[in-house]
Amino acid sequence: MSQSIKRSAPASPSSSQPLLKEPAFPIWLIVFLTLLLYAGAVYFDGHGSGFHPQVYAPYSSYTQLADLQITGPPNPLEIGFRVYHKPSCVSCHQASGAGSPGQFPPLVGSEWVQEPEPGRIIRAVLNGLQGPISVKNQQYNNAMVAWGGVFSDEEIAAVITYIRQNKDWGNNAPAVTADRVKAVREKIKGHPGPFTADELLKIPAAD
Amino acid sequence: MNYGPLVFLTAFVALSASWFGFVLTPQIQIGRLTESTNTLNTAELYPKARPGQAAQGLQVYRANGCAACHTQQTVQEGTSIDVYLLEVGTNAAAVATALVNANVGFTRIDDPGFFLNLPKNILPGTTIEAAKRAFKGAQSAGAKAQIRINPQGPDIARHWGVRGSVAADYLFDQPVMLGSQRVGPDLSNVGARLPDVNWHLLHLYAPQQVVKGSLMPPHRFLFNVSKAGQHPSPDALQVPPEVAPAPGYEVVPKPEALALAAYLVSLNSSTPVFETPMTLASSATSTNSPAK
Amino acid sequence: MNERSSNQSAATAPDEISLSCRGPLVMLFLHAAFWLVAASVLALVASLKFHSPAFLSGCAWLTYGRVHSAAVNAQLYGFAVQAGLGVALWIIAQTGRSPLPHPLGFIIGAAVWNLGVLSGIVAILAGQGTGYENLEFPFYSALLLFLGFLVVGSGALLAIHSRRERSLTPAHWFLIAALFWFPWILSGAYLLLTVWPVRGLMQSMVVWWFGGNLTFVWLSLVGLAALFHFIPQILGRPLHSRQMALFTFWTLLFFGSWTGIPSTAPVPAWIPALSAVMTLLTLVTLLSAWTNLRQTNSGGQPLPGNLAPLRFLLFGLGMFQLAGLMRIVLSLPVLGHITSFTWFAAAQIQLQSFGFFSMVMLGAVYFIFPRLMGTGLSCTKAPLRHFWLAAVGCLLVALPWALGGVAQGLKLADASIPFMVISHSTLSFLRVSSLGEVLILVCNLMFAMNLLMTTTRCASTFFLPAFLAITAQTPKAEVKP
Repeated sequence: MSQSIKRSAPASPSSSQPLLKEPAFPIWLIVFLTLLLYAGAVYFDGHGSGFHPQVYAPYSSYTQLADLQITGPPNPLEIGFRVYHKPSCVSCHQASGAGSPGQFPPLVGSEWVQEPEPGRIIRAVLNGLQGPISVKNQQYNNAMVAWGGVFSDEEIAAVITYIRQNKDWGNNAPAVTADRVKAVREKIKGHPGPFTADELLKIPAAD
Repeated sequence: MNYGPLVFLTAFVALSASWFGFVLTPQIQIGRLTESTNTLNTAELYPKARPGQAAQGLQVYRANGCAACHTQQTVQEGTSIDVYLLEVGTNAAAVATALVNANVGFTRIDDPGFFLNLPKNILPGTTIEAAKRAFKGAQSAGAKAQIRINPQGPDIARHWGVRGSVAADYLFDQPVMLGSQRVGPDLSNVGARLPDVNWHLLHLYAPQQVVKGSLMPPHRFLFNVSKAGQHPSPDALQVPPEVAPAPGYEVVPKPEALALAAYLVSLNSSTPVFETPMTLASSATSTNSPAK
Repeated sequence: MNERSSNQSAATAPDEISLSCRGPLVMLFLHAAFWLVAASVLALVASLKFHSPAFLSGCAWLTYGRVHSAAVNAQLYGFAVQAGLGVALWIIAQTGRSPLPHPLGFIIGAAVWNLGVLSGIVAILAGQGTGYENLEFPFYSALLLFLGFLVVGSGALLAIHSRRERSLTPAHWFLIAALFWFPWILSGAYLLLTVWPVRGLMQSMVVWWFGGNLTFVWLSLVGLAALFHFIPQILGRPLHSRQMALFTFWTLLFFGSWTGIPSTAPVPAWIPALSAVMTLLTLVTLLSAWTNLRQTNSGGQPLPGNLAPLRFLLFGLGMFQLAGLMRIVLSLPVLGHITSFTWFAAAQIQLQSFGFFSMVMLGAVYFIFPRLMGTGLSCTKAPLRHFWLAAVGCLLVALPWALGGVAQGLKLADASIPFMVISHSTLSFLRVSSLGEVLILVCNLMFAMNLLMTTTRCASTFFLPAFLAITAQTPKAEVKP
């Protein structure tokens, strides 16, 4: 190797001065590379999950993943809970049900949610709600999207039951059945767009 | 130093090694995925190919480089495990004793109001072993409990998704556009968050009207502004007065806009899969609800 | 006339080797300069969208997503690879002490390449891009790129094969590897994305594999080759250590080719973990290149008239380190999760492709061009002015992006801060960076004008009399219909 260097040195245009001697290779670079290799190996051992195709971050092993596969008995409010957190409702009304001032009214303690007859709240969820609304004597003004085309009658019933009976929020109103949602869906077929609060108030709650 | 062939060989070996590692091996592992059953609802297959209009919308998304500003991947940073007490049964004292005996750090026995207001999270952020012990203890004492697995992370807390994204979520897309910049919000689950096609159409036409302060450029070239005439188009967009065209004119979405909106609505990765266990936000049609 | 004297070393008449390079290199460099200007115009348009979202939004061709990827691709394929090829040909011809064989072949290859770039950029703006990052060109454009590279690259390999000076320099190893590397990765990626398309996330795996191998390995191979060749030549002293250069070379190939998978990628956990380890290991590549070139440079004085090229090269070396470190930060598990998806990642790309690679190429072109044309540059003071403008412009783009990106990432990690607040907080950083984009556009224009005027002056000196002599003989036959 050293012979070839000497031979090449005078001819190479990059070395117009004669090359004296190839300096010794810095040993610290090798030591540093070894340390990095060691650290990398330790890290990969902990996070590489043995090359398993089903283990994604943040999990680190298949056993950990298999341990977490749990299906328990369904909670009566579980379906509603899942629909609420899909995230459909939770994006605006928050997990706490508190909404956001001026824009999205709260569900906690709301008189709209807890009406004994659920006719109005079902309509609002099915077709959406547009424009100003007064909840707990506060004004809110924004648009709620229509969920009727997204969820089945069972799901709409479940999520309305969930918000009406959520004890963490202090709400307590009768459950809503899927048949009731189905009946309301039939009645509002001639009303394609979102409701306004005034329109809803004109409808008898029991309808 | 006349090692031309050696340089060639070194380069070839180095590049092939990385090709075997990062192309061939993953192809064997994730390139041959197929639809499989949903972990919580075995009647539902996941993933499903997008319906025709949404598949066309994917091409509109590609053509306009939407991926320059939007990612489509929810990052999961961790998992929290909770135990919910659903019903306490007839003997609250026995349940409390069982929970204490399960040795899960449960000490709330002295509070008489503790078993009111169920369902309640009795062991927030515990380990899976402790959760299983508590679950067994509560069941043996006649109570109903449930272990909930909640994926965690800022993306999930922002409701951009309900679990970390996995390879199966992208199986039928061509091209897959994960994106690498979050100038705008993540869209991996936007169809679950905003399922209204009209919302998306108006948002494409006039983003700032729908989302105050949005940085998104309006995409008016996806719409035709034409004379309403005798027979207004049934597809015409209801636009707020601030951005409405001159009287007598209407805003009609082009097929591209309708396809793009259909695609955005079809972006939904909230189905539970084996790779990211979770209890929340599974398909609500599962469990025991009757068929439609 | 004082131009000539200040550029004395360059103004000597070109020898046979430089003359053989003239046609191909002028072709490559002028087109590269054109794409550099085009890329900076497109980047500026994209940047101005952050001052007003509605800016030029009525036209589908100028929507942000299209303009942005057109800018990235014009910079990568129009400028970086093309200028890299030109510099590679020069180094190969000069160190091998043999003229380039078949100059016309190189010109045809370069023409095919530029046709590929042009069709690709138009396709992206027309909405025909593929949607894969760094691979947005449609298949037909990529095919032209592949053929163009094949012609130029095999010509370069022929030149290496027929060299008179048989010993290979460190720059040679890097260039030989780069000449094979590019067609391999380009064909590998397009075959798996369009000809036999892979499904689902495998597309992203191929894109990441290609991206790492192009933006890190290929750019570093060519950029380091230029640094290892030109810094010793400008200083008139040998490279400090050839063994260390060999070490840089091997670690770059073996570790660098495994990088590029983002730490947040939704693929099985071992893939980003392995990529993170390999990216960390590229630290030794950075350190060995830095130590070697710094030792070569320390205490040296550039040959007269070569201060500006040296400045470009040393700035490029510094940015190579900085971009490499930022790349490591992006791949690490915790830091990477904060910085990915933010403007920090964009800053890293900017430093890698402009701060490091483009600056090294610009320095090399400023060194090569006078020797190539046998006359001084049209404006001899321009290179130094260009250097300062470009350095300030590059940092004015990258630093606000990097700082804004870190702030953005920290806020994104806190879910209690609304997303709208975060995106608005990045705006002031983005608007400062527009100023940098303007500076970069100005100095790219200076560069292109300088090359163009030098070429036309040379052409009028050498070719115009010949051209007039030819046309004078047959004017009547052509004019009459």
